[in-house]
Amino acid sequence: MKAAPTLPAAFLHPAGQSLPQPLLELRKQRGTALVDMPLPTRKTENWKYSSKYLKLTDDMGISLPADEKTGSSLAVPGYKVAFLNGVMLPEASEYPDLEGIRIQSFGDLDDDEAARLAERLDSNLDGKAVQLAQLNSARFEDGLFISLAPEAVLDQPLHIVHEVTADASGSAFPRIYVDAGRHSQLTLVEEYISSGTAAVLVNTVTEVEVAEGASVTSIRLNMEGENVQHVGATGVRQQRSSRFESHTVGFGGPLRRHDLQVRLEGEGAECKLNGVVVTQGKQHYDNHTTIEHIAAHCNSEETYRNIAADQSHAVFNGRIHIHQDAQKSNADMNNKNLLLSNGAEIDTKPELEIYADDVKCAHGATIGQLDETSVFYLVSRGIGRRQANVLLTMAFINELVDQIPVESVRETAHTRLNQFFDQTFEEA
Amino acid sequence: MATTDKEVNELIKREYEHGFVTEIEAETFEPGLNEDVIARLSAIKNEPKWMLEWRLKAYRRWLEMDEPDWAHVGYPKIDYNSISYYSAPKRKEDMPQSLDEVDPELLKTYEKLGIPLHEREKLAGVAVDAVFDSVSVATTFKEPLAKAGVIFCSISEAIRDYPELVQKYLGSVVPAGDNFFAGLNSAVFSDGTFVYVPKGVRCPMELSTYFRINAANTGQFERTLIVADEGSYVSYLEGCTAPMRDENQLHAAVVELVALDDAQIKYSTVQNWYPGDENGKGGIYNFVTKRGACIGKNSKISWTQVETGSAVTWKYPSCVLRGENSVGEFYSVALTHNYQQADTGTKMIHMGKNTRSTIISKGISAGKSSNAYRGLVKFGPGAEGARNFTQCDSLLIGDRCGAHTFPYIESKNKSAIVEHEATTSKVSDEQMFLCRQRGIDPEQAVSMIVNGFCKEVFKELPMEFAVEAGKLLEVSLEGSVG
Repeated sequence: MKAAPTLPAAFLHPAGQSLPQPLLELRKQRGTALVDMPLPTRKTENWKYSSKYLKLTDDMGISLPADEKTGSSLAVPGYKVAFLNGVMLPEASEYPDLEGIRIQSFGDLDDDEAARLAERLDSNLDGKAVQLAQLNSARFEDGLFISLAPEAVLDQPLHIVHEVTADASGSAFPRIYVDAGRHSQLTLVEEYISSGTAAVLVNTVTEVEVAEGASVTSIRLNMEGENVQHVGATGVRQQRSSRFESHTVGFGGPLRRHDLQVRLEGEGAECKLNGVVVTQGKQHYDNHTTIEHIAAHCNSEETYRNIAADQSHAVFNGRIHIHQDAQKSNADMNNKNLLLSNGAEIDTKPELEIYADDVKCAHGATIGQLDETSVFYLVSRGIGRRQANVLLTMAFINELVDQIPVESVRETAHTRLNQFFDQTFEEA
Repeated sequence: MATTDKEVNELIKREYEHGFVTEIEAETFEPGLNEDVIARLSAIKNEPKWMLEWRLKAYRRWLEMDEPDWAHVGYPKIDYNSISYYSAPKRKEDMPQSLDEVDPELLKTYEKLGIPLHEREKLAGVAVDAVFDSVSVATTFKEPLAKAGVIFCSISEAIRDYPELVQKYLGSVVPAGDNFFAGLNSAVFSDGTFVYVPKGVRCPMELSTYFRINAANTGQFERTLIVADEGSYVSYLEGCTAPMRDENQLHAAVVELVALDDAQIKYSTVQNWYPGDENGKGGIYNFVTKRGACIGKNSKISWTQVETGSAVTWKYPSCVLRGENSVGEFYSVALTHNYQQADTGTKMIHMGKNTRSTIISKGISAGKSSNAYRGLVKFGPGAEGARNFTQCDSLLIGDRCGAHTFPYIESKNKSAIVEHEATTSKVSDEQMFLCRQRGIDPEQAVSMIVNGFCKEVFKELPMEFAVEAGKLLEVSLEGSVG
């Protein structure tokens, strides 16, 4: 039997020694644990459909240079933070100094704060389920620390742009840690973009603590290039009566993988996870979500839509786990998929794992093509076939795009979606 | 609820009614598995050389395989060398020629089981092949079946009498290297049933097999092969029971179905192996590979199963839909209680054009049991216009049980449409209140509600089995409310 491939040693040499000591130590410790870590294969259940897209070469092990600073201001309104190759650019960032709200680079934390952070990093993620995200903990060179005091409200969305410059092969490890105090409110946009054409790996981890009564909205826009393999993980922990909303808009690439894990730990917590993914060409996208209903009286609602065109491959795996004491849980998961071409592939696995009896859980999944009678209806009213296809495809996902609470993000998403439609549906 | 609690407690104590052991002389192999054992087994059965070779090849392959661990079940590791691979009731003379010659002890066993083996089956019109431990003991209605041209016999006989058919189809649907348990079965299967329905024949009666594990420390490895030639139809039923024993026993069967053009096979199972006691001690490990291949155009394979027994179940009756317009169906009721664990479901592999499949799965978990549906619906690139509908519902009774759903859906064809729905619920207080208010006791109320929940599946079962299944469910559910 062929030995399972392991993580190339080149990936275990972190750059950037400017972090506070406790974080450097954490990184080192995590790195030691990853020596000879087996890489996921087709036999690895949670990478079953995606392992073939993961191609790590030695030259991707080195960190992308973090010193060439562009300094150009970002074309997004409101508060913003710019990251380049995993390192924060203070001069391109713009956010207010409000009372009770701290937005800081990991590098600017003092040793005490860093020690406290080091204790909490990784505690929001199930390491076994996000094998590759652990690499981030061994490699991160910087990160964004966001902390909201009780009752603090950030009045505008905070837009974080993670850019990688892929002029040469390498990797970047952006990291975000959010600590939303009691009854605080925050809207966060994570936008992932890239320039350059060399093969790179972007490995992200975002952790969010949502305290009692707090409300956090997290929007993830993945628009990196055809050369970027992206493996990301988001871990959320929610306390009593808190609310977490996630909106993902993802465009495919050579490898796109996002794990979203939400733990409902306090009674009355609720979460809503929305996702839209479109893939074309030979692209790939894989969303894995897990909702852990640990406390009673929690609600979760999940809606994901995938569209796969050409020879692309979209994967969805949603898991709802209702623990034994999570009585009166409500969980609803819905995944619909549109297969636009015969070369494309969609794989979906909506899982329910239930250990409590007084719960209401349902999931639904469909895969199909555009409804021919609907197309005919529009065509018979004088709308061109192409236009009819675009309209119906847009309708399939717009319901979710419209729910994104930040206008600029909706616009960006629409622009990119229109490009996708232009390329996918031929002129009749 | 004081009185009902008492009633319920009494009911809980009611035990598995098929848990008796029949004292008959049996010839049993020493525990252990190696090539010699397989050779001996093959020799006892007077098998031709090709069969022995087939077994040995499977065995060698099996040695290199790993036991699957992905199912949502837990059980201590099985020592495959502590199992006896052959146990047969000792016969005073040669094979019995008719029922009168069958050991009366055995017949009594079947009577206890309520199988209509003797007279009753004539009324029921069921032809029975009964497999006791490892060998087929009696096959009824051979003659009328032969008149219709239907071959219905034990697989050992088939290997001797119809080698061309067996060689052609054995392992064609479930190859020896398919999975760990199928590999083991291919190496050591001791007996089973063979059915061949010739072209254009509608099998005049329901065919049926009853399986029973009797001897201690034995595994049962039966093999069923059903071939429905062009335009034929056959309905086949199987039922299983086992005595109560403290240790776990292994049952690793393989069922292969082949449907040629326009043929139809309906396969129904009522599985009631000993599930272990209320503390989870003992019980059968039911690790079964069942698969049907719709090779021909317009063919149809339909699986109906009612699963109430076994300590651990690992079973996925599947359909490979190769032929154009072929149809696969899966109707299942799986009930687990006490410490039973079930990981069961189906696979629908759509390869041909306009193939259709329906999956209706009802899982009921009570006590501290765990019940998982695991299914695969796959559309290959050639599955133009294929269609699947899946509905999996789970019902939880009690707050210490688990109900899980793991559906895998894979599509490579844009014109294929798949719809999957799953819900989980419990017997609601409102439903119970409504029944109680009308004077129905809680046991009966639960049984009524559960029967309603399973109605869609029960109506697919042949008449005799539907009655049995309903009763079985009632018995299995006893003591689950209160």
